Formats: sequence, structure tokens, C-alpha cells
Amino acid sequence: MMVLEDLEVNGEEGSKMEIELKEKNENEIVFIIRNAEVPFVNAIRRIAMMEIPKIAIEDVNIVKNDSTMFDEVLAHRLGLTPLFSNLEVIEGLVMSEDCDCDDHCPRCSVSLTLNKTGPENKEDIKVVYSKDLSSTDSKIKPVYDTIPLLKLKKDQDVELEAVAKLGFGKNHAKWIPTTVCSYKQYPKITFNEDLEVDYECAEACPRGILKTDKRSKKIKVNNIENCSMCKSCVRASENDYINVGYEKNNFIFRLETDGSMDPEEVLLKACDVLSEKAEKFITFCKGGKV
Amino acid sequence: MIPVRCISCGKPISAFFDEYQLRIAEKEDSKVILDEMGIKRYCCRRMLISHVETWE
Repeated sequence: MMVLEDLEVNGEEGSKMEIELKEKNENEIVFIIRNAEVPFVNAIRRIAMMEIPKIAIEDVNIVKNDSTMFDEVLAHRLGLTPLFSNLEVIEGLVMSEDCDCDDHCPRCSVSLTLNKTGPENKEDIKVVYSKDLSSTDSKIKPVYDTIPLLKLKKDQDVELEAVAKLGFGKNHAKWIPTTVCSYKQYPKITFNEDLEVDYECAEACPRGILKTDKRSKKIKVNNIENCSMCKSCVRASENDYINVGYEKNNFIFRLETDGSMDPEEVLLKACDVLSEKAEKFITFCKGGKV
Repeated sequence: MIPVRCISCGKPISAFFDEYQLRIAEKEDSKVILDEMGIKRYCCRRMLISHVETWE
């Protein structure tokens, strides 16, 4: 049952959603969303994980595999190897279900080949890396060159063709573009000034956010965004001096990708997918055919 | 062989495996190596720390 309070929109009237960038590097982005709702933020998160098209190896035609690794294990490892799938790179590729070919064709897939022979010497072991995969499309290649795929001994060969296709995270984990994609509500730490200061609670913080300041007889909060809301401090406190809560409509969103696409691109695509769905509702309401 | 990705979060940790092994062989501190490689979650760190290579 939905309580009326849950339907309350954005607290104060007229407050608009704001986004502030906190951290950004190659594979990760952290930002704060203010004045938003859980269902909305969660929709973005779920779409970013499950409904972004990404390219990954789907079929493997093994011509020869003399190594001690089983064919299916090798195929699984190849599938999990991340391939570059920036929007620019996958532009023009269609989903294999939407393609009119029988199995696969250059319009819906990219083929990669792996051809390696074992070492000359009997004692040596040769490791085959992801960089040994040669692609027909120079842009679609493994993100990391150093992923060990299998090992070969003398007189052992491996020869295979791997077919990479577009897919969605909801069908297989190899198509999930994100590793960490999560949000938490903005922490709020309050002190009950009527009570005596309890320094015990500051020491209990496992992340060292709380600092005692004996001069001003207060506990100071450093970098509140790092608070995991574990409430160790609340449990350590004998009186109710400290309280840990959260701001209902403010969120810290963290998105990390596996390197196959930029985190901004994942977000951008997620918004596209969401608006596409909303668009369908609009056409439906206007009496159009969905 | 080390799994391609971290079992819990999906980060492709196997890409760092060779470097990790090399530096461990040079008696470097495991914590320092992992921090420098930017592997910060404990799910990913245990993948490298606890892996035993049995294929020889």
C-alpha cells in the first residue's frame, strides 16, 4: 500500500533537481543529485546496468584447441573480456535479432580471430593474452591487452573465430557496461546539543569521519559524503548525543564502467532509453499506436 | 587461471594479474601494489590476493 506521504513531491515547493559533479576519471564518475526521488534515480541506475547496448563475444567457433582448457571455459573467458563499445564505435551495428541475416553478418557482428602456437621449448609455457585477438574492425578490440586467456605448451595450438554481437545486460553479465552502479542517500549527522558531548562516538567511526575538538567541546564532521551510515557511532554513544540519518531527496550516485565505454556515455544512453519509454506513453495517451 | 573479472563486482582484474605477480616476486607490499593499481574495493583485492595459480 502506498502511503500518501510517499507521494509528496520534492519536499519544498518549486525546488528543482540539481546535479553536481564530485569526482571524475577515466572509468568512474561520482555526482550528487539534489531534489530527486528514489524511483527516478533507481530507474536511471537500473537502465544503466541492464538496458545499454554493448558489444561482447557471443559465439566462438573453435577450429583447434589443444590446450588443457576446455572449449566452453575458453569461450566463457572470451565472452567476459571487455571490448571497446563507445557509441561512436558501435554506431551502424544492429542487434542480431533485428538483422535479416541467418546467423551473423558484418552488419550485426564483428569477428575476432585467435591463432597461436605453443612455445618451441618443451619446458616453456606460453600465455595467450587478450592482445593476441585480432579483430576485423580496428576500433572494436579488447580494452585491456593483458588479460590472460589460456596457456599453451609445446606442440599445442589454438585456432578459433569469435563473433562479437550487441546485447543487453539483462541477458548476460558480459553485456553489463558498469561494474559499480549505485546510489545512496546523502548522509545527515546531527548532534543533540542539550546533552553532554560524548567523545566515545567519534572514536567508533571506522572511516574516521568524526573528529573530536576538545577546545570547542564539539565533534566535527569531516567529509560527510564518505559516511557509510553504519551507525557505529550511534551504538558506541551512551546517551543519544549523535544521530545518523539521511536527506530523503538528495543522492550520491557512483558509476564505474569496465572500460568498454565512458561513464558519461552510459548515463547519456540510459537517459535516452528512459525518454524513449516515456515517449511511448505519450503516444499511447494521445491515442497513437505504440 | 585467474577469473577474467571480479566475481562480485565485475571489474576486469585479470588485466592486472601479471603486473601484480611480478611485483609480488620482487617482494613489494601487496597493499602498496593494489593501491597503486587502483584496485580499491575489497572484492577485487581478494581476487588477486587469494588467487593460487595451479596450471603449470
